[in-house]
Amino acid sequence: MIVRMSKIEIVGPKPLIQDVLGVIREMGIFQIDAEAVGFIEKDQEKNIRSFYPAKRTALEKLFLEEILLKIDELDSLLPGTRTRTSYIEPRSVLDAIDKAADRHIALAKDLRLRLEELQKEQADLSRHKLFLDSMSSILANASDAPDLDFIGLTIREPDMVERLRDAISRITDWKFELLTKKADDGTLVGLITVEKAVSEKLKRSLSEEQLPELSFPAAFAGLSFPEKIVGVGRRLELISGEIGRILSDLERLSAQWMPIYERVRQWVTDRLALITATASAFESRMCFFIHGWLPSKDLDRLRTSLDGAFGSTVVIEEKEIKEEDLDRVPIVLKNQAYFRPFELFTGLLPLPAYTSYDPTPFIGIFFPLFFGMILGDAGYGLVLGMLAAFLMRRFKKRKAVADAGRILAVSSFYTIFFGILFGEFFGDLPQRLFGLKPLCIERRTAIVPMLGFAVAVGGAHVFLGMVLGAVSAFRKRERKEALYRIISLIVIFCVMALVASLSGLLPSELARPVIIAVLFMTPLLFFTGGLLAPLELLKSIGNIISYVRIMAIGLTSVLLAFVANTLGGMTGDIVTGIVVGGLLHLLNILLGVFSPTIHSLRLHYVEFFSKFIVHGGKQFEPLKK
Amino acid sequence: MDKALIALAAALAIGLPALATAWAQSKIGAAGAGALAEKPELSGTIIILVAIPETMVILGFVVATMILFTVK
Repeated sequence: MIVRMSKIEIVGPKPLIQDVLGVIREMGIFQIDAEAVGFIEKDQEKNIRSFYPAKRTALEKLFLEEILLKIDELDSLLPGTRTRTSYIEPRSVLDAIDKAADRHIALAKDLRLRLEELQKEQADLSRHKLFLDSMSSILANASDAPDLDFIGLTIREPDMVERLRDAISRITDWKFELLTKKADDGTLVGLITVEKAVSEKLKRSLSEEQLPELSFPAAFAGLSFPEKIVGVGRRLELISGEIGRILSDLERLSAQWMPIYERVRQWVTDRLALITATASAFESRMCFFIHGWLPSKDLDRLRTSLDGAFGSTVVIEEKEIKEEDLDRVPIVLKNQAYFRPFELFTGLLPLPAYTSYDPTPFIGIFFPLFFGMILGDAGYGLVLGMLAAFLMRRFKKRKAVADAGRILAVSSFYTIFFGILFGEFFGDLPQRLFGLKPLCIERRTAIVPMLGFAVAVGGAHVFLGMVLGAVSAFRKRERKEALYRIISLIVIFCVMALVASLSGLLPSELARPVIIAVLFMTPLLFFTGGLLAPLELLKSIGNIISYVRIMAIGLTSVLLAFVANTLGGMTGDIVTGIVVGGLLHLLNILLGVFSPTIHSLRLHYVEFFSKFIVHGGKQFEPLKK
Repeated sequence: MDKALIALAAALAIGLPALATAWAQSKIGAAGAGALAEKPELSGTIIILVAIPETMVILGFVVATMILFTVK
């Protein structure tokens, strides 16, 4: 249901505008309209203009925006572990907070910079440590050979080892030793031992081949490998300690100050929202004017609140909604508990116009009905019912999933109902096992009667849509449009009667008067609907035939269930039969969730709603916290 | 021979519209997926657009049924 809205004007002395907006914002039921058209009388337009904020307010806005930016920057620099809530009154400490924010940003930036440097050094040294740890057994005696040089490498791919060995042998004339080892992290590290005389030449060649030596930081230059192992270990310990200290400093800063900043941010955001809202108001020499919309049922509540806060100084007036205002009325949809889950499907469509209908109740009534007609199997209905119960219990807090569960629950009920009528329980099992006959009709064989039934359902549904379209046109005082819709409805009814008469469902004598009636209506149809009226009529007939999908999709489901049972029976073994049949039924149930949903929705969106729902409404967006 | 021709006619009546529907839906579906990536709020409109060509195959199904069950 589309909630009835009221067009409101609030008037009061200019100095009170922020306070009035504060009350409105607190209640969260009023949408401000920034347009003056339709609210201000023509003869008053020269006296009223957009609200012009005082210089002080403009400066305050700039100041608050700057504070907000500073708090955001500080927030991005500090870790996010905050447990305390601050109850400080922000208005009185804004200046102090502004200065403190500058100081804290500088401190946090310094700490972050130092942290990054240390983390980079830690990463570099960890790589070196990996190499040293892997080669420690070899390097332990390195100091005993003063004529030898050691070159460390990280080898990217194991295939490179042989190529590397060939290249080194050419440069060193086979006077070298290359040892490789897999490090703890899986990378391959290598150590080349060569005479000092050729080591520089080898290092240059390796560098040209994109295999640079693993060079240690300057602080470790001149140390032997065993000394380097000890030195790197100590430095890593120091770095790790310093990183821990910096992180705890940042944590402390965050825990101590961020709750206060959060509190200030909340206050500043609220204040800025109020200042921004004043830009949508209007003013005369002495007064402010706030125009907007609210649900009619909330009008008394707003009036009481404003009276309580400002007495007779602030006046609230409900204005008449004129025809030219209708496109601007914001839309609120409110439905009863049964229909509310179906808003999930309504949300896929644009909002209806204020003078149109809320599609939700129609989907709520007809969607499960069509779903049940299509699937129509008591066994499948039971399985879907259990799935729905699981979704509703398991996902109570996830509204969309819980709503989907509720829709599935209603749909499964109709599936069971039609399943009983069609005598289907996991296909034709009742007939096979117990020789039971369907209560109403056997879908698998009664193809033409089911086709007629589906068209009849389509006719009734589309007729309802057309009647609602005519009522809607009457309500909008579009008499010609309303007349066109009624004539279209009569002509389609006559065409259906003619088809029924010619196919023997109705007496054949009916054909002639029906043809005369259609011929009589045709000029009226052109007069009210224009030259394209017959085309629209054909479209409507096509819409009705489109409901045959109820029978067509249902037939595929029935046949797949029949195939599942037949194949299961052909296996000759009870266990294999249950597995084969069960798997096919499972596939059919999966298809049975998606296919009827998509096709039922399509019948609503394309065939039904196109007859009477006008889209184009705007969402109601009240000023609120 | 007559039965074979009736069956062929019914098969063509549903087969050709099915191909046409598939072709139309492939084009609309691809364009719709692109549009949805840019504007997710258009999902309802895209569902409608993808579903529109299905009428062809449903009409084909009706004609095929008529051929099978009414032509003697």
